[in-house]
Amino acid sequence: MITSLQPWWWLALPVLLVPLWLHMRRRERHKAGLLATARFLPATTPQQQRTPRWQERLLLLLRLLLLLALIAWLAVTVMPWRGDTVLDTADVPSEFAAREQDAAGLHGAKTVQLSADPLQWLAAHQHEFRRDARILIVAHSLPMPALLPEFALPVTVRLLPGASKPAARTHRIVLASTPEREPQWRALIAAFAAAGGRFDIGSAPDAATELVIWDRGGTPPAEWKSALWWRTGAPPADAIAIEANGLHLAIADSAQGRVWYSPDWPATDARAAAAIYETWQQLAQPFVAYPMPPVSLAASAATRSGQQQRPSDWLAWSLLALFTLERITAHVRRR
Amino acid sequence: MLDTSSLLAHSANLDLVIRHVLAGLGHGIHAGRERGAGVEFSEYRAYAPGDEWRRVDWKLLARADRYYVREAERDSHVAVWLWLDASASMAEPSLRIEGLDKHWFARTVLACVAAIAQRQGDAFGLVICCDGKTEFVPASRGPRQLQRVLAALMRAKPAGVLPEADGLRGAMQFLHAPAMVFAASDFLDWPSAQGDALLRLRRMRHDVRLLMLRTEAEAEGTIPTSAAYRDREPRRTTAEPVSTLVPDPKVDTGSAVARGLHRLTDADRPDYMRALAAHIDGVRAACVQSDVPLLEARIEQPLGEVLRSWLRTERAR
Repeated sequence: MITSLQPWWWLALPVLLVPLWLHMRRRERHKAGLLATARFLPATTPQQQRTPRWQERLLLLLRLLLLLALIAWLAVTVMPWRGDTVLDTADVPSEFAAREQDAAGLHGAKTVQLSADPLQWLAAHQHEFRRDARILIVAHSLPMPALLPEFALPVTVRLLPGASKPAARTHRIVLASTPEREPQWRALIAAFAAAGGRFDIGSAPDAATELVIWDRGGTPPAEWKSALWWRTGAPPADAIAIEANGLHLAIADSAQGRVWYSPDWPATDARAAAAIYETWQQLAQPFVAYPMPPVSLAASAATRSGQQQRPSDWLAWSLLALFTLERITAHVRRR
Repeated sequence: MLDTSSLLAHSANLDLVIRHVLAGLGHGIHAGRERGAGVEFSEYRAYAPGDEWRRVDWKLLARADRYYVREAERDSHVAVWLWLDASASMAEPSLRIEGLDKHWFARTVLACVAAIAQRQGDAFGLVICCDGKTEFVPASRGPRQLQRVLAALMRAKPAGVLPEADGLRGAMQFLHAPAMVFAASDFLDWPSAQGDALLRLRRMRHDVRLLMLRTEAEAEGTIPTSAAYRDREPRRTTAEPVSTLVPDPKVDTGSAVARGLHRLTDADRPDYMRALAAHIDGVRAACVQSDVPLLEARIEQPLGEVLRSWLRTERAR
């Protein structure tokens, strides 16, 4: 629970030099002895008798520990200072954010602009909020977390309407096949389009190409590169053979990208086409999170009681104990 | 084996010390003007502890069953005055003998003189210069006076500085009678009102005898080095005029405390000895000029010897 500014308190450690200096300095005052014939001796200044020797080591130790504990307490403890707050991400239109703020009744609430996930940021910073604070999160869209998030404060999440649906992606595919097999491949890709998304078939790969289908003899040109290749023919010896969705695959890595070999393609029926599509989505396509719907989360009692137990409680108690001991020792020394 | 001086220094009973010192010392400070027992009877007085047995009237004891002492008109007209310097510098202790300091030595030697004077039947009084004031016990005779003087000596504690001339004026009321003045001091403050008063007494034809006390370490320069020393009587510092030592609110205490500090290194020792010798020479010269016998003694010396030498100083003169 350390915010970004708190570790700067450790820079106050040179304050420990003050008691050290005081305890070394006090020595010089009580040193002079009395002598009846001192008037016949040359006069001197006290700097010349300064002998740096420690005295009252226990008191010095207590004072050093007290200061150290105080600095440590300041460095790890934070006071809740945030009240009603609107958390918004940079991609939200300001008029939408203002409208949602008015609707939630958070007039005069402070706005915090975030670039990262607001829910994660809130989980890390919720100890900074006062107990009566309300929080409104305004974002373009948020990925749905696996579990409903629990916060010690009431949190309202509002998302830009219409942004929840993911846009249809365009997949770029390069098809290099023999003329007799090419219609089968095109039919397969057309079957993929039925599941959503658009497929753009080219003849040579570029930077955006996701898949190269090489179904002809010989080796592909060396400058062709892609994240995934589908090939027919015999797989190399070090290929890993797997079976997914009834599809037999041999997977091998080459300098041009990952290559899948299979005797099963192109598909001959709709079931086989669906199996190929499913396998492709599962093994090679990035995971797309579900968009989160707008929700209002009540304050969680379990999180609230947990929030009260600060990790620096024992530090505060030791601070008090050290202060008491220091006062007692100083008083005893004076008697 | 313990030195006799250290045994005496730890004795709380001044009376006992006096008896020890005076044992075998003999009687007499001066020659009485009228000798023998042919003194004129004056009155009977109740016996008091300390009275000599030979003065008890035995016939009256047989008749009244009580001790009475025959009081006679006094023959001696010489008063003995004891002068004790109880300023702070007299608290200087001996480094060799623990518990012994200048004040103890001066007090004891004056108590011995008082005891001798009482034995002789002389009147004796006491002047104590302490903390800028003068305490005064008027001259009188007898054992009760001795107790009074001893009590005043025991009460005196070394503190402060010597009185100024105004403070001493009240103590000079005994000037009308011929007197012997026994003054014990360290005479580190010289010239001073005390010194002037004693020399003036001598000019008025009183018999003034000075005892200058020093410690062995002072006299031989064996004071430990590598330490800061502060004068026991800071007002006496000659390096600065007295006025600057009055606390000034504008001066911060740190520098005021720093003032009056002195150091003693091995290199400073010859200078220290020279300065001290010059000071003592000054005191000696003033005494010779005024015809005042001055005895220099170290407090580590046997007290009996010092006392004997002090009583004899006049004969040597």
